[in-house]
Amino acid sequence: MLKRFYYSLLLLLTGVGFWALGVRFMDGMNVTNLTSYFSWGLWVVFYIFFIGLSAGSFLLSTMIYVFKMHALEKVGRISLLSALISLVAGLMFVLIDLGHPERFWHTLVYRNMSSVLEWEIHFYLLYILLVLGELWLVMRDDLSAMALNQIGIRRILGKVLSLGYRTSTTSEERNQQIHTAERWVRILGMIGVPMALGVHGGTGSIFAVQIAKPFWNNSIVPIIFIVSALVSGSALVTFLYAFFGKKDSDKPNVLASLTNLLILFIGVDLILVLAEFLVGLYSGIPEDMHSLKAVVAGQYGLIFWLGQIGMAAILPILLIRLSRKNGSEVMKGLAGLSTVIGIIAVRINLVLPAYVSPQIPGLENAYVDSRLVYDYFPSSIEILSTLGIIAFVVLLFSIAWELLPIVSNNDPKTSGRRIENYGIDTKGTTHSA
Amino acid sequence: MSEITKEEGTQKVSRRQIISDLAKATFGLAAGVAVVSATKVQAEPSGAPQEQLPQSLSKQIPQDQMVLRMQRELYTAMQKPVDQRQWAMVIDQRKCVGCSSCTVGCKAENKLPPGVIYRPVIEEEYGTFPNVARRFLPRPCMHCTNSPCTKVCPVGATYKREDGIVSIDYDKCIGCRYCISACPYGARTFDWGDYYTEGTPELQKYELEPAFEYGEKRARTKNESPINNTRKCHFCLHRLNAGMLPMCVTTCIGRATYFGDKSNPESLVSELIGSSRVLRLKEELGTEPNVYYLL
Repeated sequence: MLKRFYYSLLLLLTGVGFWALGVRFMDGMNVTNLTSYFSWGLWVVFYIFFIGLSAGSFLLSTMIYVFKMHALEKVGRISLLSALISLVAGLMFVLIDLGHPERFWHTLVYRNMSSVLEWEIHFYLLYILLVLGELWLVMRDDLSAMALNQIGIRRILGKVLSLGYRTSTTSEERNQQIHTAERWVRILGMIGVPMALGVHGGTGSIFAVQIAKPFWNNSIVPIIFIVSALVSGSALVTFLYAFFGKKDSDKPNVLASLTNLLILFIGVDLILVLAEFLVGLYSGIPEDMHSLKAVVAGQYGLIFWLGQIGMAAILPILLIRLSRKNGSEVMKGLAGLSTVIGIIAVRINLVLPAYVSPQIPGLENAYVDSRLVYDYFPSSIEILSTLGIIAFVVLLFSIAWELLPIVSNNDPKTSGRRIENYGIDTKGTTHSA
Repeated sequence: MSEITKEEGTQKVSRRQIISDLAKATFGLAAGVAVVSATKVQAEPSGAPQEQLPQSLSKQIPQDQMVLRMQRELYTAMQKPVDQRQWAMVIDQRKCVGCSSCTVGCKAENKLPPGVIYRPVIEEEYGTFPNVARRFLPRPCMHCTNSPCTKVCPVGATYKREDGIVSIDYDKCIGCRYCISACPYGARTFDWGDYYTEGTPELQKYELEPAFEYGEKRARTKNESPINNTRKCHFCLHRLNAGMLPMCVTTCIGRATYFGDKSNPESLVSELIGSSRVLRLKEELGTEPNVYYLL
């Protein structure tokens, strides 16, 4: 019943969102409230939010497959899947933000090597292949089992997605397969670490290289992007695992490790944000000052204090702290959810405040037009399409979660590839609770 | 009391006198100027280029000679190969009266829709009453030598031409608006697809007429370029190619805007750039603008 309500809600939101997208594609960019002086808005905010979520989740997965943080083994597939789906969402947002979305292929044909955005698009595409490859490798035994043992849609899915791979029955070949998978996951992960850093550090650089916007134009911005990506990625995985992960004896340990990581990342993120603001406010370069003031005590103050500081830092730390006493999984999950939502505030405050002051003093009054103002609030079409895309990817994620072997990776019946084969002791405490 | 009446009386007389004097003076001055400039022209060496255009006006108004000179230099520059000319603009802020006729001329020439503006005029006010002054800053595209906008374009749709003009290939541009954010001068605007007569019974014909930017005949139709593209000042490239000065130079009533080939050391703009009053906007960013201001 609850599930049915959940899916109908998602479908409804997706439907409304796609209607809004239809309007956007029919009418062009004038359905937005963007202006020529405030040229990036809600869609760009969610583009970097989802790219960050993706890079963060992926980096979390590399901690398992590359850096052998065995305590997190259970969330490996969750992080890879959320990395994949988030990237899809990010790319959808950047696509609808283009004035001529039908020309997206120009980015692959006409090259400009000095453009960060150009490099990023290549990064995204390689990265999506890499995540897909890695996800397939860690799931292939389960997919093969699905093709053999399941019925109906799962059987078809298993047949299609396993790409003809079958788990061998002889133990010798079996060991060979495990070895191959393990090695390739590690290799892909190793390529993936610099790539994920490139994906999100590079996304930060899109902003940081702009000399026109002193608010962005400093080298701490790409670093903040990476760290806040780690925050959002580990928060999302914490939330998903706490609420929907399989209940077993390992769960408290895994959650403890996850929340430890989350607090660490939040801490580093806070230090970086503090550095950015203190240095900026002390230096007092006028344009930078306008933006920083708008964040700390201006029109973006509420988003900053409630969202960025409250929901993405103080609340999760408090919740995790409290949950340690009573061992509540729900509280840990809520801490994750609160952080993920709080990171939206972080992304809003990374993009929008850069546009609050005119490039040349007086430009705001030089020519009066509703598209030539330094003020922006998203239009209803922008908001609806954003909600729609989010609902759509949550829907995708939920379907994948239900149909694919995401949480069943230690069930010996469906999985030919058991944890023991790694020689990993998941019960060992690499992190203390 | 009597003094005041007396004063009024004398004033009446003097006013009448002034008017007649003024008429005489004007006539005299005009004649004088004509004579002086005529002798001046005659006194000049005969090596000066022959002008086929009507001479009377340019003789009397020295500023108009500048236009003719810029026009001549434009012809010379256009004779050269494209990579040997460097267009530059000089704007004399002491001469600018803030009439915005450059803005209007530009809007009309390029048939710019609502929200798209290439050359707004920024009004600055200085000081506190009673010591106040106003200054006007027309702001076209700076056509920077190190242009931050062309660097960031992911598809190379905006690029620096060999003659220094930063132009946009509308058919290549994907409309990501990265260049708009990257421009330190706010010189790029987006064509949002708005019309002035939107929401009225019908779109007026003047909005649907084609413009000739970059020498391409383009009418604005729904979702077709240049709609949903970034647009910017291009020094009226289509006019240059036809041997005409940019529209803003032509319409400037105070003759505050100069345009020409910087690579020709004898051109008017080269002379003006040598002035000690010269200034460029946000020089500290290292963008090397090709629009110069005379403060």
